Amino acid sequence: MRIARLSAAALLSAAGILAQPPGAPGGPPRAPQTARAAAPVDFTGYWVSPVMEDWRWRMVTPLKGDFASIPINRAAYDFGMAWDPAKDEAAGLQCKSYGAPAIMRVPGRVHMIWQDDNTLTIEADAGTQTRLLHFNSKAPSGEAPSWQGYSEANWERPVRGEGDPRNDFPPIFSTRTGARGKSLEVVTTHLRAGYLRKNGVPYSENTMMEEFYDYRTAPDGTPWFTVTTVVHDPKYLVVPFITSTDFKKRPDAAGWHPTPCSAR
Amino acid sequence: MKILACKMTLLVSVSLLAGAIDAQPNRAGQPQNFDNVELHLIPVQGNVYLLMGAGGNMTVQVGSDGVLLVDTMFAPLAPRIAAEIKKLSPLPIRYIIDTHVHGDHVGGNEALARMGAPGASQTDTGGATIIAHENVVNRMTKPAAAGQTPPPTPGLPNDEYFTRTKDLYFNGEPIFVIHEPNAHTDGDSIVLFRRSDTISTGDIFTPERYPFLDLERGGSVQGELDALNHIIHLTVPAHLQEGGTRVIPGHGRLCDEAEVVEYRNMITIVRDRIQAMIKTGMTLEQVKAAKPTLDYDTQYGSGDAFVEAVFKSLGNPPARSRN
Amino acid sequence: MRVILLLTAMLAWPAFGQVDFTGEWAPAYHEDGPERLPGPELGDYMGIPINDAARARADAYDADRISVVTEYECRPHSADYGMRGLGDLRVTREINPATQELIAFHTYMPAWGSVRTIWMDGRQHPPPYIEHTWQGFSTGVWDGNTLVITTTHLKANYFRRNGIDSSDQRTVTEYWTRHRDYFTVVTHVVDPVMLTEPLVRSQNWTLDPGQKTQRMFCEYQPEVPGAPGAVPNHLPGTNPFLHEVADWYGLPYEATRGGAQTIYPEYKLTMPKPDKAPPEKCERFCVCTVLQDCNLHAVPPR
Repeated sequence: MRIARLSAAALLSAAGILAQPPGAPGGPPRAPQTARAAAPVDFTGYWVSPVMEDWRWRMVTPLKGDFASIPINRAAYDFGMAWDPAKDEAAGLQCKSYGAPAIMRVPGRVHMIWQDDNTLTIEADAGTQTRLLHFNSKAPSGEAPSWQGYSEANWERPVRGEGDPRNDFPPIFSTRTGARGKSLEVVTTHLRAGYLRKNGVPYSENTMMEEFYDYRTAPDGTPWFTVTTVVHDPKYLVVPFITSTDFKKRPDAAGWHPTPCSAR
Repeated sequence: MKILACKMTLLVSVSLLAGAIDAQPNRAGQPQNFDNVELHLIPVQGNVYLLMGAGGNMTVQVGSDGVLLVDTMFAPLAPRIAAEIKKLSPLPIRYIIDTHVHGDHVGGNEALARMGAPGASQTDTGGATIIAHENVVNRMTKPAAAGQTPPPTPGLPNDEYFTRTKDLYFNGEPIFVIHEPNAHTDGDSIVLFRRSDTISTGDIFTPERYPFLDLERGGSVQGELDALNHIIHLTVPAHLQEGGTRVIPGHGRLCDEAEVVEYRNMITIVRDRIQAMIKTGMTLEQVKAAKPTLDYDTQYGSGDAFVEAVFKSLGNPPARSRN
Repeated sequence: MRVILLLTAMLAWPAFGQVDFTGEWAPAYHEDGPERLPGPELGDYMGIPINDAARARADAYDADRISVVTEYECRPHSADYGMRGLGDLRVTREINPATQELIAFHTYMPAWGSVRTIWMDGRQHPPPYIEHTWQGFSTGVWDGNTLVITTTHLKANYFRRNGIDSSDQRTVTEYWTRHRDYFTVVTHVVDPVMLTEPLVRSQNWTLDPGQKTQRMFCEYQPEVPGAPGAVPNHLPGTNPFLHEVADWYGLPYEATRGGAQTIYPEYKLTMPKPDKAPPEKCERFCVCTVLQDCNLHAVPPR
């Protein structure tokens, strides 16, 4: 009996269950955390995107009909071949290529700040666009389509384990912990039809976009992040369009240069 | 009297040898303090090892017949070199092969040869047999008097060859000593260990710096390229330009064919440029000002000396040394 | 007592964050498709922070070199460029059967049958005088859900297959992340010989369990009679192809020369105009996402 009691104590002590953390079975309920408090990394600040990929499709307006790399279908091809920037200007649609599915690829700087504890703002100097990433929030019903759409954000949770209170009691033969991530996951809908590329490669109003923002530290200590963007648009794309854009942290706003949208 | 005569002979010969060695340019930069030199013994493949330290790389081949060395670094390092070799084999050094005449490659000849025992060829002085092309011997000595044969001395090569190749069988493998005429110098040899599939190149191949074309001692850019092309001909990569024949350069890390190709390409391209400039009548100063090594200087250092050597070599190629 | 100790030891295993990258991954050529598939245009140095030495070397490059220099015929992509090029990818992992700890990830890419090992067991990199290989020596550590891989001991290779060389002194840091069935690799390359600042590029794959990776065969043969040891190259100032990419795509020539000053947004403010009037529309590699549809002349998708 004494051995059994000692065994039980050893089990409990090794599992760290003697001090019941909040959320554990039998423990006090967890207080809800704001997105800002729960942030595993700090994305705030000024960032610049050095254009080391897709240079001739991003730093200049590509030629009409240059659709290389985008998995377009015939409908998108025909639409793109009809691109007329003058018409877009006349219609006040200069910002068609600055919508959420494209803005992170437009050369420029972004400024990320917390608008409130559950809304992270991304300001882009190119096209003077502002994106709002809403945590713990769904799109209101009747949300009107817009260039930046409605973005639902989450700190990416691992598939199982760490951070999930139901798994604070580890089973005997394996430890169920996932990876503590430094990633932000965003899903954007309610988009107004726009251009994936400045020369008129279209995306439709039914587009859904996933993004994954991954924070890292370069060997020289400079913070960077990469945003992997997956654009789902069955109307114009044969497969989801996947790109990844890299941003380097800047110490201040030097170089911040707001420019209006341009159709050319 | 006999003892005194021997001592005098020894003193004169050592002075000659020391003088000959000291007079030779040491691009490796002889260290001020040999105590600070780190020796690194690296297995290559088969029976062959690479020993890196100060001065030129050494090759060490071991087996049941004894120890064979290619090059010998500097004399002050000889005891420590011997200690490293002892980690591989207790057997004596029987052969030393000199790839060329420069002091950072032959400086340890005498000391290490003394520690050894004769190879297949009996030597008058005892110690290891030292093999080199005859031009190495010619560069290292001058006759005591006109028409007289230089006295044999430990440290001087005592088994020179004048044909294109010399071969021997040692430690279970054929070894080819191959003369590469008028490359780095006019006395260059590369050493091919056929079973261990390794080539020691001496300073014909120095992947981390421009080649030193020793024009005063018969070096030339065309000979250098011929030698590199020959090495590329001899090397066989195992898979997709990697592995297979290993190449031990005169200085720098262990390599294979791919690195020799890059080095050969660089020299060929620079040679082509300077040749074209010479054809337009440019002077040496004009050629230097045109920076024909601009694209390689960030990798190999200043190209001025190399450019000058190529310019002079193209303008005044040496008479080909006898094979 | 022995029972207590055994149970305590089992429960004291440390938790560690790991992501499973294993699987068959199909590359998404949705960025720089024409460069990565059919190949880059001569003279296209856009987006690469090259220095003057690298630019001069690329200007001297003659594309005949890869056939005339026989030894280049089978020269594979190195670890860093391999992530950029033809990129069907298989990732497997090696687990220590005694400790169940991860020893290594292994990758296979059919382009040249390249096999890499990323050591996860904390071993040190070898000293600098050890030989270099195409795939280098890689070690990985976890940073949250990201695998950070450091690769050294790489052979000289290329940043772009039009003469922009990479040196054997470069160090590559990769960041691997997986989000559901998307796999992103960021390569951060520091090359003191060729670059003025790090080259940072990112590539994406999607999980494709049905992918069958191929074998690649390559045997080099002299195919072109010529002088032994010839290395095709353009003498300084004589390369006739350097303006092509600017003219074909309506770009300022200066921009095509690459360099760090051309990769930041502010360059748009000072970028000169194209030397020639741009074509009215795209005429080269206008539709190019997979190898089968990446044609020189525009072919509308079906």
